[in-house]
Amino acid sequence: MNGLLAWLGVAPFFLFAILFLLWPSSSLIIGGFQDPAGNFTLKNIGDLFTPSIMNSYALSIQISAVTAIAGALFGFLLAYAAILGGLPRWIRTALMTLCGVASNFAGVPLAFAFIATLGRTGFLTALFVNVLGINIYNLGFNLYNFWGLALTYMYFQFPLMVLIMAPALDGLKREWREASENMGASSFQYWRYVALPILLPALLGAVILLFGNYFGAYATAYALTGGTLPLITIGIGQQIAGNVLYNPNLGYALALGMIVIMAVCIGGYTWLQSRTARWLR
Amino acid sequence: MAFLELTNVRKSFGQVNAVESFDLKVERGELVSFLGPSGCGKTTTLRMIAGFEMPTDGSITINGADITYVPPNKRNVGMVFQSYALFPNMTVADNIGFGLKIAKKPSSEIKKRAEEMLALIHMPGLGNRYPYQLSGGQQQRVALARALAFSPQVLLLDEPLSALDAKIRVSLRGEIHSIQQKLGITTIYVTHDQEEALSMSDRVVVMNNGHIEQIGTPFEIYNFPKTEFVAQFVGTLNTLTAEVRDAADKRLVVDGQEIKSAHALDGAQVGEKVTVSIRPERISFYGEIQKVNTMNCTVENISFLGSIVRIQVRTGANVFYMDTFNNPFLELPKIGDKIQITFSAEAVLVLRQSA
Ligand SMILES: Nc1ncnc2c1ncn2[C@@H]1O[C@H](COP(=O)(O)OP(=O)(O)OP(=O)(O)O)[C@@H](O)[C@H]1O
Ligand SMILES: [Mg+2]
Repeated sequence: MNGLLAWLGVAPFFLFAILFLLWPSSSLIIGGFQDPAGNFTLKNIGDLFTPSIMNSYALSIQISAVTAIAGALFGFLLAYAAILGGLPRWIRTALMTLCGVASNFAGVPLAFAFIATLGRTGFLTALFVNVLGINIYNLGFNLYNFWGLALTYMYFQFPLMVLIMAPALDGLKREWREASENMGASSFQYWRYVALPILLPALLGAVILLFGNYFGAYATAYALTGGTLPLITIGIGQQIAGNVLYNPNLGYALALGMIVIMAVCIGGYTWLQSRTARWLR
Repeated sequence: MAFLELTNVRKSFGQVNAVESFDLKVERGELVSFLGPSGCGKTTTLRMIAGFEMPTDGSITINGADITYVPPNKRNVGMVFQSYALFPNMTVADNIGFGLKIAKKPSSEIKKRAEEMLALIHMPGLGNRYPYQLSGGQQQRVALARALAFSPQVLLLDEPLSALDAKIRVSLRGEIHSIQQKLGITTIYVTHDQEEALSMSDRVVVMNNGHIEQIGTPFEIYNFPKTEFVAQFVGTLNTLTAEVRDAADKRLVVDGQEIKSAHALDGAQVGEKVTVSIRPERISFYGEIQKVNTMNCTVENISFLGSIVRIQVRTGANVFYMDTFNNPFLELPKIGDKIQITFSAEAVLVLRQSA
């Protein structure tokens, strides 16, 4: 009886997973190997290796990696300051709330917010011109290129990092630091031998999560650059829903390529995890 | 000059005076414990010796060197924490060798030392385990080995056994004591467990509310408590309200029955109310033995505590205990029985109120 209830409890989840995860992915995999008429072909997969598509993958990986690593670094430093910096309790609470909100602010509204503040006629851009007499666009800044997009992505990535790292930093026991100091270790040695190795599994997990988060982002990039930056997600959009380039089967194959890249990342992460977290029960 | 000296050490956290004018001299190789109730300042004092807290006032010296403001990683003092605090990412051997690794000792020497220490704590061959693969008692032994491995000048232990269950606590207590004796290391042991303090210390510092109540050997602390607090806190104690009948002759009245004390009444007035204490184990049934003092009382309760039987008795307003050793032929009174008890004049301590 209990068993039946338990099964009933998890059934909606599995139903959901089948309908919206397994089914679409399998149709995506199948579609990747079909021509428009539905016959088996390897042409779509072969087309992935054309230079323009390879460039798209490379660009997507680059921007995801840059923003994941930068986001992780700044997010970690901010979380460190908030958790271990001995700030008053309310600062920490306020920061966590803001990060919770910011990490969910994405998509078209986020792009719009950045255009309104840092676009060519944005509020901050204008402020710099009027108050400091500096036009940041003349200095090489551009919201609509790689670095502009990276900056925009950072907006939700690094609060996410704060949210992930805060509990991990909380988990560092004061006694570990004291025990290491007691045995003669400097602060640097404590971080090198104790704190960072303990945090490493959480850090790695967070970087992978951030990477995946950017890798799949579409709406922000599309709204901001209007497709001038050939990210792989934008490429998929063009193939599936575009009117100039319309080839859903190539789109499926592109998505399949993304899945493979993510799988490699997660595989690598699992391997690293098993090496860095041997001591976890 | 003593090996470890605390002179007029004081510590306040804002408005809270955690430790007040603490003076202590510890000789080389001595084991001194800090005993006192929760919040009395034991940990704070220990942490000042370790360097994790800076004294508000006063000075601390080890082997003649003033270390009051030396940072903790330059003090060469080993510490064992209540929560073990082993590094979870390191094996047992790496934990033990950490201090030597920081001191840049060659790895062969570190390995050898770790093995020595593992043998010392009776855990040979467990060097490759991770802390999570050990029981609490084993983890604490590793923490002890880790704190000793780099040959510190002083060993500090902050309630090292309080997270363990009763049986292990007793056996590990013995083990810590014998290791301390073997190495002859100067040790401060913080505890709120009087049995622990009495059984392993050369001297006990009884603390209350941030100050020292009494410093003495376990024997002195138990048998000759100087303040009411010490008498109350160490061992089970009966306190009775008595009235002075004759200060010079040391005669008192408890609920209309006269008793004699062997201890001076320090110029008390006739009729003045004082508190006297008598340890339960010093009271016997009249008839088995006869001592100077006898009292009539009523049995209120009997509790069987294993090796001893504790009998609660009443004389008028005073309720107190007497202990008698258990044996299979013991004939116990029943609740409500009127019995006669006896105790010596030496057993009757007249207590000062604590400062
Ligand atoms: N960092 C701190 N900030 C403010 N007050 C503190 C701090 N550390 C200790 N105290 C206060 O100082 C007093 C002594 O604390 P301490 O931890 O030394 O007691 P303790 O004797 O070790 O008690 P326990 O047996 O509970 O461990 C307590 O009143 C405590 O609240
Ligand atoms: Mg304490």
